[in-house]
Parts: sequence; structure tokens; C-alpha cells
Amino acid sequence: MDLVLQLLFTGIGIGAVYALVALGFVLIFRATNVVNFAQGEFSMVAAYLMVVCAVDLELPYWLSFIIALAGMAIIGVIFNLGVYYPLRHRTYLPVIIATIGASILMANGVLALYGPQPQVLPGWFDTPGIQLGPVYLDSQYLLIIVVTIALVIFNYWFFEHTMIGKKLQATSQDKEMASLLGISVSTMIMVTFIYSAVLGGLAGLLVAPILFVSIQMGSTIALKAFAATIIGGFGDVTGAIIGGLALGIIETFGAAYISVPYKDGFAFLVLVLFLVFRPQGIFGERVAEKA
Amino acid sequence: MTLTRRGFTAGIAAGLAAPYIIGSARAQGGGTIKIGMCAPITGPAAEAGKYATGGAKLAVEAINKAGGILGKQIELIIEDDQTTNPGIVLAFSKLAANPDIVGFLGSIRSTQVHAMAPDVLKLGKPVMFGGTDPNLTKLGNPWLFRFRPNDSYSGRVIAEYGVKNLDKKKWAVLHSTDAFGTAGGKALTEALGPLGATVALDQGYANQSQDFTPVVLAIKQSGADILGSYFTFENDLGIFARQLRQLGVNIPWVGSPSIVNVTALKLAGPALYGTYGVADYAEDSSEASKAFGKAYRDAYKVAPDNQSSWPYDAINVLATAIKNAGSTDPQKIREAILTVKKYPGAEGEYNFDKNGDGLHGYNIVKNEKGNIVFDKHIEFDN
Repeated sequence: MDLVLQLLFTGIGIGAVYALVALGFVLIFRATNVVNFAQGEFSMVAAYLMVVCAVDLELPYWLSFIIALAGMAIIGVIFNLGVYYPLRHRTYLPVIIATIGASILMANGVLALYGPQPQVLPGWFDTPGIQLGPVYLDSQYLLIIVVTIALVIFNYWFFEHTMIGKKLQATSQDKEMASLLGISVSTMIMVTFIYSAVLGGLAGLLVAPILFVSIQMGSTIALKAFAATIIGGFGDVTGAIIGGLALGIIETFGAAYISVPYKDGFAFLVLVLFLVFRPQGIFGERVAEKA
Repeated sequence: MTLTRRGFTAGIAAGLAAPYIIGSARAQGGGTIKIGMCAPITGPAAEAGKYATGGAKLAVEAINKAGGILGKQIELIIEDDQTTNPGIVLAFSKLAANPDIVGFLGSIRSTQVHAMAPDVLKLGKPVMFGGTDPNLTKLGNPWLFRFRPNDSYSGRVIAEYGVKNLDKKKWAVLHSTDAFGTAGGKALTEALGPLGATVALDQGYANQSQDFTPVVLAIKQSGADILGSYFTFENDLGIFARQLRQLGVNIPWVGSPSIVNVTALKLAGPALYGTYGVADYAEDSSEASKAFGKAYRDAYKVAPDNQSSWPYDAINVLATAIKNAGSTDPQKIREAILTVKKYPGAEGEYNFDKNGDGLHGYNIVKNEKGNIVFDKHIEFDN
């Protein structure tokens, strides 16, 4: 039983990380109908910004955190203007390829600036964790879980109860109609990119003290997050969260009880099963084609 | 000025002929002995590449200062291998096209040495390398010479140290599932049997795992009293080390060389205190190692590691072999390298065997609160 509780905690913790990145995928998909393959690199870039501020420049942790997230907001703007905006009237394919290009650019840009060695980022708390009976709770994982819960609540409030949230939803559902109603579609898409970049960055900052800061950190998480998005139902915020958590738990238990080397395999096996038997995901609606 | 057809043809002809004329002039006037080196100048191992070229240059400078070999100065020609297999094949073919180059330095990565091996065989000139896959010197390729102990020795050294010095007989063996980790894990488990030790857990993991909780719990449940490991990437090692300590596992731990490298120490910090590692380069292991350490520090203001020590030794041994052979004929150099015995290098004492393996043992070092301290050297006769 102790073993199960320990695995469950870790599974939820790692699942929450996937969920955070998956949220970014979903938001951009809803607004623009494209998958942003640079979402993982947002996490990586934010983590490096944090290392520059908190470790190299020795700024206070909270200030570095704010600077890193502000930096991500700016990157969101640049990404929107440089990658999405010029191609917005084309089909989804050129945009998706452009996001892949942007992800390669970001990874190699950071490699050129910072070198290939992984970096250490201290966690929020001085105590690494607490022993609760038989289970060890890593403080950083606890923080990740709390932030994920908070974000779910925030997202609900933001999209359902604020005017800008409703405008964003309207834009994602029907751009032409939204435009006719006086909503500035390009502004709304810009806001979406900023929000997704900040979300991706937040995931990176939270997970960096556990996984260290490296060039590959973004792509490894993003691949799982992408699977989580499909499992949850592409385009569904709740689905992304549930999908991420489910994936974290499945792979942790799969590794413990079946095979460690095939840990990543379990995640993708579940993905394949969903694609075959329920391609719309847990929460997705069956949509033939958006009008 | 108008361009006539004749003028144009003459120009083209001159342009085509120029490199050959310049090239032959260079060959005739060449007062140097040229050594080619493939090193990662770009790509993920670019950082390590700096150490490698630094070590090689240090040896070249020292030899040239002392008058060179056969009355000539050594010239090192470096090509970027991009840290990839196609990259090193390209780099080597560029160097191989230069007929003046008498010997080469290959890579510290086994996979890259495998990639370039067929071209080495075709060219028929000696290539020094640092990859530790035991198979590399068993390919039937007479031109490959290894300047680090191969992994069959690291497995035996980990086993011997754990069983004889730490007196632990119930082992958990943890290894990456890539070529390096699988070969290492196999070498370790095979070495444990004859020493009377048992393997309580033989566990592989995939590279770039984000979480090791299931692995740590498996080690805990296996009841092992010692851990032997082969980690490929430092970030995996760092994550594992932290989780191991967090979940309260404190058994002795002897790891492959990555456990004592600078990046791993930085990432894992206190989680690696008290662990042991095998290291091919340990600064305090011999007078030659100390001398290299001092020279490297004086030249580059940083501590050297095995990335820089093997190219340093490779240049020195190659130069010694050319001197002993009294010629730059590839076959004579090859024979001279194979007769190198008791050569005191930075990595250890070189005694080349018929396969081209120069070193046959490893150092055991201990992590004492972040400082790597030399403990003992274990050498094998076979």
C-alpha cells in the first residue's frame, strides 16, 4: 500500500506537468486550429531565462520568476507576429511546419548562447520535501499540483466569467462571426499566444528544479503533453488536465509493475488505443469539420 | 576590357590547375609531420570538444618545444565532427584526402568510431580513439588504437571494488538501455558471478526518464546492499540520485565514469556525496597524471578531465611511436605503437596488446563532499 501511495503521488506530480504544457497546446489549438509544436520549447526558454536571472545574475527568486514569465509574454508576441501572423490566411499545414521550425530555432538558439551543459535551478522551497507517514512528498511536486489546481479554477473563471475570456471563446469558435460582432480577432489570437507562452513557461519554471534545465527538457515533456491532449480530447481544457494526470499515473504504475525501460511505451500505447477506439478523446465532441 | 573566349578558357584552366600546383608546392616544402584530429567543435558535445582539442594541442606544443620528432615540428589539423556519425565520416574523409597526414585522432564516442571504422580500414593509417565499447578493438581492424580502458574493465573494476573492498555481495545493477549501458550492465553482472556475489536486481531504464521513483522502489524492495550503475546522461543520473536519497536508500553506490564528471556533480550535488566511481583519468593517480593536470591548468585555467587526457596521451604515444619507428610509414608506426610498454600517460600506464588496447585498468575515486579523491587503481593482466 505504501508503494502504491508513493507511486500515486509521483504519478500525479509528473502528470500535472504534462497537464500544464497540454493546456498551452489546447488554448492555441482552440484559437487558431493549429498545433503549436514549439510549446515545449516555451518551457525550456523560460527555464533558461530563470537560470540567467536567479543563478547567473543572483536576483531574488520571485523577481526572476516574474521576469522569466514577462519574457515569455514578449516571446509569445514575437511568436505570434513572426510565426502565425504572416501565415494566418494559409491552411493549417504551413503554420504547423512554421511552429516546428520555430522550435528548432529556439532550441539551437539557446544551445548557441548557453552551451550544451544542463544547468541547476534551485526550487521554491529550502526543504526538499516532507515525509508523510510512508510517503515522501517532494515539495516541488506539491507546488506543481497546487498550481495546476489553481490554474484549472483560474481558467474556468477566465473563460466563462470575464469579457476577454468570452471574446477569446467566440474567436476560437467562429472567427468571422466574432469579427462581425466587433471583436478584434488578431488581438484575441495575440492574447492567446501570450497566454500559452506564459503557461508553457510556467510549466518549465516549475519542473526545472526537478528535471534540471537542459535543451531537451521541453521536447520530452511536450511529446507526452501532446499525447495527453489527444487522450483528453483535442481542444478541451478539462480534457487536457485529466489526460495529463492520467498519463502520469499510467506510466508511473506501468513502470513499477510491468517494465521500467518501456515506461514511455505505456504512454504512447494508451495514445494509440485512444486514436483507434475514441479518436475524439475523453471529453472531445465528434466534429466532422469546422465550418 | 572584354572577355575573349581564349582568355576565358585560360582563366578556367588556371583556376582548375591552381590548387594542384599550390598543393604540390606545399607538399614539397612541408617541414612538418601532420596529425589529423576529428573533434566535436559544434553539436551537443561542443563543450567536450574544447577539452579534447585543448589536450591534443598541449601535447603538440610540448613536443614541438622539445625539438619535434624526426627533426620536424608536429602540425595538428582539426576537423569538426559535429558530434554526429555522418559528421565524423565527413571530417575523416576530408582529413584522409590529405596525403601528408600520417596519423589521426578519432572520437571518444564509440558510435562515432564504429561509423568511421570502415573508412579507417580502407585508408590504412593509424587512428587513435577514446570510445570504450569493447568490440571496437575486436573488429579485425588493425588501424584502431584505444587510449582509454574499455568497458569490460570498468565492469570488472566496479565488481571487484564492491565485493573485495566494500565487502558487499548482494547487488542491484542499474543501467541505461542504450548500447553503452547495456554493454556495461552486462560486463558488471558477468564479473560478479566469479567473485561470489549475487545480482538481486538487474534493472534497465530508458534515457531521458523524467522520474525514477519506480526504479528506486524496486531497489529498496530487492534488499540489495550495494548499487552498481551505468548512466549515459548526467541529467538522468542527477534525477535518480536525488530521488534515491529522498526515498531513503543509502546503500554504497559504485558507478561508471559519468558519476564523477563535473556536470553530474553540479546537478546532483549532495545526493552523490559518499559514492564511488570508476575514472580513467584521476589527477592524483600517478606522477604523469599530476604533471598533465598542472600543465593543463596552467594553459587553460580549468581542471582537465578524461575528454582532454586521452587526446594528450594519444599525441604523445603516436609521436613516440613515429620516433621509435624512425619513419612515417603507416605499417611501421602501427608496429611501433604495438610495442609501446610501460609508457606513463596521463590516463595510466600504457601497455598495448595485440588488439590495440593501451590501458587495462581503472582508477576508483570517491566523492568526498563534492571533491573527487583518488582511492586506488585496479589493473588486470588480461
